[in-house]
Amino acid sequence: MAEWNAYYQNEDEDEEQEEGEQSGGDYKVTGRDSLVFLVDASKEMFIKGEDGEPSNFDMTMQVVRSVYTSKIISSHRDLVALVFYGTEQSKNPRNSFKYVYVYHDLDEPGAKRVQEVDALRGEKGARLAAETMGSGETSLGDALWCCANLYSDIKLRLSHKRLMIFTCRDEPHRGDSAKDRQARTKASDLKETGVIIDLMHLMKPGGFDVAPFFRDIVSQPEDESELGLHLEPCDKLEDLQKRVRAKEQKKRAMARLNLCLGEGINVAVGIYATAVTARKPAAIRLYRETNEPVRSKTRTFHMQTGSLLLPSEIKKAQTYGKKQIVMERDEVDSIKKFQDPGLYLIGFKPMEKLKTHHHIRPAVFLYPEEGEVKGSACLFSALLMKCSERNVFALCRCVSRRNYPPRFVALVPQREEVDEGKVQFTPPGFNVIYLPYADDLRTLDPPQCPSASQIQVDKMKEIVSKLRFKYRSEAFENPVIQQHYRNLEALALDMMAPEDTEDLIMPKVDQINHRLGPLAEEFKDLVYPAGYNPESKSVAKRKTAIVGGVAEKKPKAEVPEDELRAHVQNGTLGKLTVPVLKEACKQFGVRTTGTKKQELIDALTTRLTDTV
Amino acid sequence: ETRNKSKIMKALVLCMDVGFSMSNSAPGEEPPFELAKKVIQKFVQRQVFAENKDELALVLFGTDSTKNPLDRDGQYQNITVHRHLMIPDFELLEEIENQVHPESQQADWMDALVVCMDLLQTETKGKKFDRLNVALLTDLSTQANQDHLDVIIENLKQAGITLQFFLPFPAEDDEEGGGDSDRRGPGHPGTGKGLSREQKESLDLVKHVMLSLDEEDGLDQVYTFRFERDAIEQLCMFKRIERRPMAWPCQLTIGSCLSIRIVGYKAVTEERLKKMWVTVDAQSNQKEDVKRETVYCLDDDNETEVKKDDTIQGFRYGSDIVPFSKVDQDQMKYKHDGKCFAVLGFTKQNLVRRHQFMGSQVVKMFAPKDDEHAGVALSALIRALDELQMVAIVRYAYDRRSNPQVGAAFPCVKQDYECLMYVQLPFMEDLRQFTFPSLENNKKLSPSDTQLSAVDSLIDSMMLVQKDDDDADQKDIFKVHHIPNPAFQRHFQCLHHRAVNPGTPLPPMEPWLKAALERPDVISERCQAPLEEIKRKFPLIEVEKKKKLKTSAQIFGKDAEEPDAKKAKGDEEEDYNLADIAEGSVTSVGSVDPARDFRTLIKLKSLPFGEVCQQLTHRIEQLLSNKNTHYYMKSITCIQAFREQSVKVNKHSLSSFWEKLMMTWEFLF
Repeated sequence: MAEWNAYYQNEDEDEEQEEGEQSGGDYKVTGRDSLVFLVDASKEMFIKGEDGEPSNFDMTMQVVRSVYTSKIISSHRDLVALVFYGTEQSKNPRNSFKYVYVYHDLDEPGAKRVQEVDALRGEKGARLAAETMGSGETSLGDALWCCANLYSDIKLRLSHKRLMIFTCRDEPHRGDSAKDRQARTKASDLKETGVIIDLMHLMKPGGFDVAPFFRDIVSQPEDESELGLHLEPCDKLEDLQKRVRAKEQKKRAMARLNLCLGEGINVAVGIYATAVTARKPAAIRLYRETNEPVRSKTRTFHMQTGSLLLPSEIKKAQTYGKKQIVMERDEVDSIKKFQDPGLYLIGFKPMEKLKTHHHIRPAVFLYPEEGEVKGSACLFSALLMKCSERNVFALCRCVSRRNYPPRFVALVPQREEVDEGKVQFTPPGFNVIYLPYADDLRTLDPPQCPSASQIQVDKMKEIVSKLRFKYRSEAFENPVIQQHYRNLEALALDMMAPEDTEDLIMPKVDQINHRLGPLAEEFKDLVYPAGYNPESKSVAKRKTAIVGGVAEKKPKAEVPEDELRAHVQNGTLGKLTVPVLKEACKQFGVRTTGTKKQELIDALTTRLTDTV
Repeated sequence: ETRNKSKIMKALVLCMDVGFSMSNSAPGEEPPFELAKKVIQKFVQRQVFAENKDELALVLFGTDSTKNPLDRDGQYQNITVHRHLMIPDFELLEEIENQVHPESQQADWMDALVVCMDLLQTETKGKKFDRLNVALLTDLSTQANQDHLDVIIENLKQAGITLQFFLPFPAEDDEEGGGDSDRRGPGHPGTGKGLSREQKESLDLVKHVMLSLDEEDGLDQVYTFRFERDAIEQLCMFKRIERRPMAWPCQLTIGSCLSIRIVGYKAVTEERLKKMWVTVDAQSNQKEDVKRETVYCLDDDNETEVKKDDTIQGFRYGSDIVPFSKVDQDQMKYKHDGKCFAVLGFTKQNLVRRHQFMGSQVVKMFAPKDDEHAGVALSALIRALDELQMVAIVRYAYDRRSNPQVGAAFPCVKQDYECLMYVQLPFMEDLRQFTFPSLENNKKLSPSDTQLSAVDSLIDSMMLVQKDDDDADQKDIFKVHHIPNPAFQRHFQCLHHRAVNPGTPLPPMEPWLKAALERPDVISERCQAPLEEIKRKFPLIEVEKKKKLKTSAQIFGKDAEEPDAKKAKGDEEEDYNLADIAEGSVTSVGSVDPARDFRTLIKLKSLPFGEVCQQLTHRIEQLLSNKNTHYYMKSITCIQAFREQSVKVNKHSLSSFWEKLMMTWEFLF
């Protein structure tokens, strides 16, 4: 398809092509994920850092807020709770616990909750916290018990339960061994019911020592090697955010497959989507009277008899020229089947054979599934080490799901990387790069252009150096999605206007101009002759386009009826342009839902062959 | 200007040698005739299903009879114009299948070329074709008449006709390391040795013609088909004559003072089949007989239907549902200035990780054809980035209607051209930061030295790129980007079959298609021993799992909130107890969990028996009227509940309901 815009889906179109395989969210799970923030509200948490650095409490609230909003965007069905301990006031379901303040019980986060967390931020927030909750005694045991009740009060089935403790006090009970013991007991009760307890320990003067108390509170890592306890406490918002983020999302495999090296050598692997294009969610329909959501039911029935059509009474067809080709529904699926799902090793190639431009889909991530085939992790690890050491990738044939045709993929080794705080920022495993087939590469006619001279290149190098920055993939928010949620937030909270969003992918033109100074002119003098204006041509064009688009409509394109019929008969409708076809559809009163050329052609063909 | 380009029309003559020498082959190998026919068949098949307006003619030479407009005075003999220039169709496919056979004459391939040129010139008169092409498939075993060689070449040039040759042997010796050595299979002897004198002379002639037409790349258009496996790769050779992607003119801007005119072309993207399947009635095969209708209903027990006009649009904001009309949405949504390719800054190439590429395409940016100055300016940027090992991070918007992206523009400096390659990068919202347990720091998992060396030898034996001893020239024996998408091939094969033989089962996959996806034979042989070693060194034990319950719910996928089918099937005494029942008072069989309500009501005996059954039957009928697997599954659990109870309770009183139910059920499947 040579149409450029074919790629750009209209925002409201949710049609995913049949093979659009990167949904990434197709998990077979039952139940919801849940997360409880258990935050220390003692006086120590409110102490501001030097130079007006935010307090630990303030930092925590910012993180909680960002988790709330990201849950709203990416997984609104997850349940989140916010509980404070070490408070003066108490507020919990049966008010049976002192010094525990349930600010939000376990529920889906919404606009109101975001606002309420916002209210706890900054100076004002500290004041509000002091007024409503205050700081009092601490009993972590009671707090954990209270959280356990939150979990058990939930009627829904929970699949993943996590509890995060935010504190800067390593000895919350100041050596009261009875309270320590109670807390340990309650923690182990919680852990027994499947709750994972994490510690997000924050900076305090003199350092945070995990050993005496919290070591027994937190969950043992899933795996003995996992970096369960971060030895260094967090003192930066960014770090805290990263740590929370890393734990907050439950990772789930999109698929579990075998990586087959040869006859009988199957390594079990899981495929994970680490980057999935976030889209604006689809609209839901509401009943006008009550604003309650309505469900849609789609029914297929016979035009003449009006009776419902069962799957067996339906077939699939395509028409080429005058020929209709009909298949059973399962035949349509079976055509796509080549092999059973799995990865099959073809061989290895040096990394330089993986071309930058061989890109057709976002990559996915591969990690062994020791639980499926014992020994997988060891062989996987050996492959990973050797591929990385020898700088090669593994070429595999990949069938990711039932009835999917094969694709070839490059398994690119990725060694684990951790930062100074021992937090993993690159996980160990293979990145799976999808490779294009011959059909996916297009032939271009590159224009013959003179190359720049070294002086010109050097001048550009100066420009490039002036505008250097350190790219981080998480630095850019999607302005379209952010705006959408700001709008919803404003409507949900009856705000006058949505909060401003900064478009982070807008070039900072003034800054760029300022940094470049005279360099831009100097470069232009070197490459452009006097009087050359790179913008002239398209500016003129744009003007006419606006005039043509708004003021006058293009003359209608009509084709005489007999000519159309001849096209239909010869199967040459494709020669006509889309506007002409649309006009023809109107002419014959053919209603088409689609705007794709093929749909127009099909509609016209059926219409005109009927009446011949 | 750009609009017109998308309407490029091509005229192609397939000119195939069917003379007797084409049937010769070494023992165990397929004769060139069969391979050539396969190439032509697959190509025409693609053309038929592509439904473009390109026209195609078929000329055969070496035929027993003669049928061509130049047949005069014993000249141009044994050449048959089998099909005149027209849009290829199923008839042509059938003709190739049934009427193109090896014949017993030989004809001059140069004469055949002249017939093709004549055909192109006369039959394209009055029509606008942008590309004229002749593809010759021959073994070159006749001596060609060279008398009018210069005239022919001159004519080809003037008419703008391009040529392609498909030969059953390579045009160049491997030793020369010629243009396309990597396309050939490994370990096959070079050319020249087994060729006859006529073939050698003809080959020189072919080279002469091709180089006269295109001094630089002429020989790239001489292809080889020798093996089944090659045949599938031949198809992409026709790509050279494919239509070109649409141009996207724009300006690359660096701040507001520096801009460079550029033109973008989509260079890599996943090609998809254009045509969608439409639903037809199984009896009449008419799509008009099938009507799909969407109705909206409230989520209450009666599933009250509401009119579409009585619904409005809304969005979810976490737990809130916010009514948000389309008009408001359009007014408040993010808007931008449209088309744009603006540099945000420059960064080191290694900070842009390959696995973070997003989107589904790569766009190549060139300077406009007629703008030398833009060319120089762009070249300066490309080379600066290339020398500094950096990339530009840009804001890219295709047009005003499409969402802006952030992406990277990589420099690409090739021998014959330079360009920027644009790839989309992720937004913060797209990323999922997962952490995985460490592999290397885990003593239980870390491989021993002997294990590692077993992997080492496996990699050695399975290298698909072989270094030649003498120079740095590498031979890649498995180039994925030379393989045409097998799914298309299979799709066309099945469509073709069904079109020609309706009512018969679909054919099996063609063996050569399967073979093209397998590990190359050389590798398979070489890795045998290392694989055995791996098997010995790495014990792999499948973990015994509780037998996975393959319920239909699992197969179809089920909603997270649906009652577990397994649960409903199990011993019901354990699954719900009085506490459950007490939780919410059940007064009738509701739509949320009818099976449970049914069981509860039977247990509580709060309603007359018959009525409860009737309510359930009613629910089942309601569920079945929704054409949706979820509802089917729900109804299955209802029927299961029904059966359980019927075993326990008075069988007789239930039997009539049971019968009625089964009738509904049978009607469905």
